[in-house]
Order: sequence, then structure tokens, then C-alpha cells
Amino acid sequence: MGEHDEDDAPLDPAAGLAIVAAQRRRVLDSEVDDRVIFGTWGVLWLVGYALQWWSAERSPTGTSTGPAGAVFGALMALGLVVTLTHIGRRSRGVRGTSRSMGTMVGLTWFAGFMAQGLIVAGVVAAGASPEVIAIVANGLACLVVGLLYMACGAMWRVRSMYLLGVWVIATAAVASLVGTPDGYLVMALGGGGGMLAGAVIAHLVRRRA
Amino acid sequence: MTDGDLDPVIHSASRLRVVATLAALDRGDRIAFPRLQGLLDMTAGNLSTHLRRLEDAGYVQQTKTHQGRTPATYVELTGEGRTAFDRYTRTLTELLKGAQP
Repeated sequence: MGEHDEDDAPLDPAAGLAIVAAQRRRVLDSEVDDRVIFGTWGVLWLVGYALQWWSAERSPTGTSTGPAGAVFGALMALGLVVTLTHIGRRSRGVRGTSRSMGTMVGLTWFAGFMAQGLIVAGVVAAGASPEVIAIVANGLACLVVGLLYMACGAMWRVRSMYLLGVWVIATAAVASLVGTPDGYLVMALGGGGGMLAGAVIAHLVRRRA
Repeated sequence: MTDGDLDPVIHSASRLRVVATLAALDRGDRIAFPRLQGLLDMTAGNLSTHLRRLEDAGYVQQTKTHQGRTPATYVELTGEGRTAFDRYTRTLTELLKGAQP
């Protein structure tokens, strides 16, 4: 043991504080990167909702067509895979409080979207029109996303995430009032654009950290 | 205030790096030995030595578990370790302020 200690020259205060800052940075860089999450969803929402708007503009019902809806679903599935892979990789080898909290948060997302799917199925079974189905499905999904972003942002004290949650809910509310087909455009620009702005803000915050 | 006020257990470049890394994790989190090693670029032997010294001081807790059949060691900063680290960085900051004209 003594051998290593002798190698370690005594520290001057500036060098000591520099070590602390460098290691904090290193740990931060190894953890989940919110820029990746926000950026991925920003691009996917922008493309996915724009595609739905484009197809709805050309559809007699004014709502997204089956193929456009399927592509949207595939893009959302891709987002989920990217998100889960990123979180899985970055949290490997860390156990304890954050892991058990993360598991509970993950289950909350799952429960939220299960409920959203079942409610939409109920609305469809009750004979709702394509426009009502589109508004309910999107509004509920965004409510789940927005509330969870707000809750996670508050819990982890990530202000950008909290504000993004507020923004998603506001955007979905506007899109619901606008209705179809233009509500899709509101979602593409407001939702997708908001997520991309969130990624840029997260990047700036990180550079200052 | 002098260098003598600094906690001798933490006052070494290597152990300060170990403690600073563990302190950067969320409270209540523990990290697998290989991942910690990766964040520090230390040899396993070197890291073990420093961890033992920190554990003897009550600043670090090492937990041995199994992942499947492979044994795994998880490392975390104790409450005492976190307090000592906070005190140490506060002292460094004060020393730095004192050193400035």
C-alpha cells in the first residue's frame, strides 16, 4: 500500500478541485444522456406526425391513413428500442436507489400506455368516428408522456425535462382543439420541435456543467 | 487553515479520484468494480488497494454478490465517506481562497 501512497504526490488545492470536477464530468458523461433521448424522440415525432398530416390531408376522413399510421407506429417502436438500449447500456453496473426507481418509472410508462391502448380500444368499440379516435388516442398518449416527463423532471431535478412535459401537454391540448388533419402538424412542429429544442437546451446545460 | 486540516485518507490524488467518482453517483447507488475501474483508468490491483484503505476508514462499503455464476463486487460511498468528502472539498476551496492575494 505504501508504495502507491508515495507515488501520490501531495495535492495543492487547485489540483485537488480539478480532480473532483474531472471525475464528476466523467461520471456524468457515462450516465444516461438526455440529449440522446430528447433528440431521438424529436426527430421521430417530427417525421412521424408530418407523415400522418401528409396522409390525412389526402384522406377523405381527414385522419391519418392505415399505412401512415403503421409507419408512425414503427417509428415509435424504434424510439422505444433506442431509448431502452441507451438506458440499459448506460446504467449497466450501477445498482441501488436509482435502479429501483428507474424500474418503477419504467413500469409506470408501461401501465400508462397499456391504459391508453385499452381506452382507445373502448372508444373504437363504442363506434367513435375516425377523428374522435385520432384525437383521443393522441391526446391520451401525450398526456401520459407529458405527466411522466413532469414527474421524472421533478424527481431527478432536471428542469428541461419538466418543462418539456409541460410543453408536450400544452401542444397536445392545442392539437386536440385544432382537430384533424392540422392537429398532426401541430404535433410535428410543436411536439417534435419542442423535443429537439429540449435536446439543444440539454446540450447547453451539459456544456456549462 | 493549512494542509494539515485535510483528511489524510482522502488527501492523495488516487484516493481523491476514487472518492470523487463515488460521490458523483446518486446517493444510495453502488457501482460494479469493473465499471468503477473504467471510470478511473486504474489497474484492478491499484484500485483494490485504495478501496481497502477507504473501507478501513469507514468511507467505502464493498458488497460481494453473484451475477449468475460470476462473483461481482459493488462499491459505494458510506454516509461517513460522503460527509468526509464534502468536508475535504470545502477545505480545499477555503485553502484556495486563502492562497489568493
